[in-house]
Amino acid sequence: MIANANNDDVTPVRFRVKIKRQDGPGKPSYWETHQVEYEENMNVISVLQRIAANAKTADGKGVAPVAWDCGCLEEVCGSCTMVINGRVRQSCSALVAKLLRDQPDEITLEPMSKFPVERDLVVSRKRAFQALQKVKAWVPVDSYVDMGAGEKQSRADQEKSYPLSQCMTCGCCLEACPQYTKIEVLREDGESDADFEKRQEEANAAGFIGAHAINQAMLFNDNPTGKFSKAERLDALTDQGGIQMCGNAQNCVAVCPKEIPLTTSIARAGRSVTVHQIKKWFDS
Amino acid sequence: MPDSESFFQKNEFLIRRLHSLSGLVPVGAYMCVHLVTNASILNGSETFQNAVYQIHSLGNALFAVEWLFIFLPIIFHAVFGFVIMFGGKSNLKNYRYGGNVRYVLQRATGMIAFVFIFLHVFHLHGWFHFDIWLKSVVEPLGGGQFLPYKASSTLASALQASFLIPTCYVIGLLSCVFHFANGLWTMGITWGVWTSPNAQKRAGYLIAAGGILLSLIGLSAIAGFTGLDAEKAEEVETQMYENAVEGKRIPAAPHKFYGHDENHHEEHN
Amino acid sequence: MANEKVVVVGGGLAGLSATMKLCELGANVDLVSLVPVKRSHSVCAQGGINSCNDQTRQIGDSEWSHLDDTVYGGDFLNNQPPVKEMAYWAPKVIDLMDRLGVTFNRTHEGFLDRRRFGGTLYKRTAFAGATTGQQLLYALDEQVRRWEAAGKVNKFEAWDFLGPMLDDNGTCRGCIAQNLNTMEIRSFPADAVVVASGGPGLIYGRSTMSVMCNGSAASRIAKAGVKYANGEFIQVHPTAIPGADKLRLMSESARGEGGRVWVPRKGQDPRDPKSIPESDRYYFLEERYPEYGNLVPRDIATREIFDICVNEGLSVEAGRQCVYLDLTHIPRAELDRKLGGIMEIYEKFQGVDPRDVPMKIFPAVHYSMGGVWVDFEKSSDGGLVAGSPRNQQTNVPGLFAIGECDYQYHGANRLGANSLLSCIFSGLFTAPGVLNYLSSSKGLGEDKTTSLCNDEIAKHKERHESLLSQTGGENPYMIHRELGDVMTKAATVVRRNEQLEKAYETVCDLAERANKSSLADTGSWTNQNVVFTKSLIDMFPLAKALVKGALQRDECRGAHYKPDFAMPPLQSTDDAGRRQEAEKWCDKFQANIDKWLKTTVADLTTGEPKITYEAIDTSSIPPRPRLYGLVGAEVIDEVWKERQRKAAVGNATGEKSPQPVA
Repeated sequence: MIANANNDDVTPVRFRVKIKRQDGPGKPSYWETHQVEYEENMNVISVLQRIAANAKTADGKGVAPVAWDCGCLEEVCGSCTMVINGRVRQSCSALVAKLLRDQPDEITLEPMSKFPVERDLVVSRKRAFQALQKVKAWVPVDSYVDMGAGEKQSRADQEKSYPLSQCMTCGCCLEACPQYTKIEVLREDGESDADFEKRQEEANAAGFIGAHAINQAMLFNDNPTGKFSKAERLDALTDQGGIQMCGNAQNCVAVCPKEIPLTTSIARAGRSVTVHQIKKWFDS
Repeated sequence: MPDSESFFQKNEFLIRRLHSLSGLVPVGAYMCVHLVTNASILNGSETFQNAVYQIHSLGNALFAVEWLFIFLPIIFHAVFGFVIMFGGKSNLKNYRYGGNVRYVLQRATGMIAFVFIFLHVFHLHGWFHFDIWLKSVVEPLGGGQFLPYKASSTLASALQASFLIPTCYVIGLLSCVFHFANGLWTMGITWGVWTSPNAQKRAGYLIAAGGILLSLIGLSAIAGFTGLDAEKAEEVETQMYENAVEGKRIPAAPHKFYGHDENHHEEHN
Repeated sequence: MANEKVVVVGGGLAGLSATMKLCELGANVDLVSLVPVKRSHSVCAQGGINSCNDQTRQIGDSEWSHLDDTVYGGDFLNNQPPVKEMAYWAPKVIDLMDRLGVTFNRTHEGFLDRRRFGGTLYKRTAFAGATTGQQLLYALDEQVRRWEAAGKVNKFEAWDFLGPMLDDNGTCRGCIAQNLNTMEIRSFPADAVVVASGGPGLIYGRSTMSVMCNGSAASRIAKAGVKYANGEFIQVHPTAIPGADKLRLMSESARGEGGRVWVPRKGQDPRDPKSIPESDRYYFLEERYPEYGNLVPRDIATREIFDICVNEGLSVEAGRQCVYLDLTHIPRAELDRKLGGIMEIYEKFQGVDPRDVPMKIFPAVHYSMGGVWVDFEKSSDGGLVAGSPRNQQTNVPGLFAIGECDYQYHGANRLGANSLLSCIFSGLFTAPGVLNYLSSSKGLGEDKTTSLCNDEIAKHKERHESLLSQTGGENPYMIHRELGDVMTKAATVVRRNEQLEKAYETVCDLAERANKSSLADTGSWTNQNVVFTKSLIDMFPLAKALVKGALQRDECRGAHYKPDFAMPPLQSTDDAGRRQEAEKWCDKFQANIDKWLKTTVADLTTGEPKITYEAIDTSSIPPRPRLYGLVGAEVIDEVWKERQRKAAVGNATGEKSPQPVA
């Protein structure tokens, strides 16, 4: 490896990218190494773009281009989440120079391990969205006709809610959570889309809903109108796979790219469900 | 989902909360009392013996109290602890955060505590006090060594049998205390007592201090018994036993003094 | 009405607001989107959403004035009835979004806080930090999820829209789409299709747009006969962070909150920017446009930054063109509270804290004012007839277009914070019209539908297979890069006919070559190669419409700037001379209006654009010169106003107002 001095950084001319690939759901995974020329300000997305444009392994063998997900490329859409050098993050904001400083010569890319792989680095995060449905993460308005503005809100309340509402369902918190384990259902021969989806949903429903969903439940419980469905949300949080599954490892908050106070939301949800359940015990 | 599977799943929240609660009350609370009582050995075998007399003044009710408030909750806590543990998958390798380290330690210390408590009760108490069990299982395996009316001396002898024993007790004790303290901290989050990162930090410091104190108490008890002169203690205990029975402070229960020897068999209650 | 099915293509602000409104009105919706809808490009919108509001009203603002700013900013290329309707709906749209839980920033008293955006003198813009688009999108996403839970919406996420299905009469009967993972091609029969597929930024290679903004859906319906309008009007955002994979937007709100644009008076001044004294700094927007300062409309800010770097050689860096956008005089806490999102983006991608060091920015392709041609029905008060099926309907019956992919609201240049409004508004407003269309149209019948579906599926399968098997040797990714380069060079800030002519040829060549792409991946599972190649091939009709439209339009209007046809400033220094020049200037201006104040309409059915022009409805606000910063502006303004007054008197005695068109 030839290195040239560029300010304080030492950036290589080229570097290896080791990618964990998988040809389809249920297929075995395998590692493949590619070689990429270094460019200034390169991020993992541009690495994958180079590989897509010229799909050859490090030893020159032509292969199918690596499949991956991306969207906004500025870390607000959540699409391009993957496991980079062992840790989950968005690939758009993963700058190559920095990655190589931490681990010289080589970058490893893997799909998230908690979700079913579609292909290579593409995973299906349906379960994460399903959890949002479960906790009724929305404001239950009567209609979309003009009824004037919503309630006035203090600046303090807005500043409490805004961070929670920045969650882009990227899945980082779920990937890093030791309590969130992979649920994968494979399609059976001849199974219809609808049947397959139903089976997936049933399997997902038994698993942990995850920090992101708990956080969303709290966001809407705080909303002046959202709190009208507070009881339903708290019931959902104490249903199977609910907040009780949390093991307080607090990895979620440490890996969240938006620095959402997830563990505060979890603890607040803990308090809410405690009060809710005790009330339910005595009142109903 | 078939009904047979769903009892645990349906009541997952309740069971998990009971699990959390049982760790504090009665299990954790009992441990605190237990360690403080044991540490009274530092004030001499008489103090400790008096403390034991106090407990054994319950007489035959002690059996029920032990099982209902100590053993069954511990077993419940342990069994569901395993269920919880197998429901997760640790990932410390890539995510070396303090919280994650504690998550793994909580599970590791839980397992150590489980093994330790099982052996510890067997070693000193024997779990059950049926003759046939004691004679054919416990005693041949070196268990049930504690005699309540010879409290200090039997403990001292039990601990002094090999240096491995106090070593195991130290490991077991520290695991139990860590598990209790960290469990208390996470319980505060689970139940929503401390919510913000700052509050959690403050609670953490407070609990860590408590945990250190509790460890010191427990360690001093172990040190107390390990360093105790068993013969001298037995002299004190013999004297006390006679007075106590005469003074009706304790029910006369010779097996708690003499053990389960043939000689005293007929006096068994 | 309970069982009628509508397909919505695209799940950004427009698609989601249409979906939720359609559900509320009773329709069932199949929502087809390239990405999970929560990841749509609307998340990237940062600054905010405009409406006249109680605070601005107190100092003279009104919905009318919002309309005026929008059409003036758009250089009068907008049909005014839709804009008027939008401006009058704007306060209601924001109220609704507030009710849906959008975490808008608040004043101390608890009202919505507002900031000022470009092209207006009022603080009209409501915002949620610097991630307003994300927050609005999430609120709509949540509502659609609610309808999904209620069984009214079926989401088809990770599906690529391949084309509409038209029956023998040319009526839209649904669409064909392909699953991006299983590669299954299936039909979605429906009574109406609403396309809300966003902008075509990928034509330019790198832009501020997300990777799914490839314009393919718009191109595919255009191929089926839908007209494409004003393609040449592409907004180049003045401030973006240059990057290898993307040009990341630096919101106008940075300037709205007091950010100042400057360059050192000496080009490539090597000093640390913070140590350069005020006297050596050239705040060129503030000096050239004292009234609007840093908040001139986007097209002007873009041209000025371009001019400073390219013509005056005052770029901050030697190897790269950029100017400073400076926020360092604003307290950190305030920046975090109001602009946290964009501060983080800069910090994350540039590794420099913009709270301490001025940002380095340069213009980037950002938004397409042009798009799919859609109709409207004008009401007697100059707005739109609510519930009319003509609103937002394309020239293909049953096929509607909304959001950025339509051409309706922004004329020749979009004002900041108007796009979020136009997207949500068009979605909400169209839904009743779609339902009215459904109740007035007859179904195709089961047999005919089945055979239509089968035919269309077969056609698209054949195309798919032939792409997989062809071996022309071309690399689609390289062709895309070349397309981006040629488009960025010829058809962005400054346009010249020779360059456009050459660019058109190059684009045609590239189109040929794209058809000869060889795929590195010929598999049948998550084949991103073939999906990309299809979208690349479909970029060319739009690119051609864009370049040809630009080539033919010999004038300057909004974002379309041809220096060879610019209106000159007044030269004379004495009053009489100025007056005389201004008269001539106004004559020329009027002649230009007569010739060019028209919508460019391209027919793309053959792939080669056939361009015609269509009159514009300017019935509410007559066109007037856009004079931001021009020398002699006051005199021209005076002359023009006099002429308007005279015309008004003439109109009062004769005809009342210009005839509406469309």
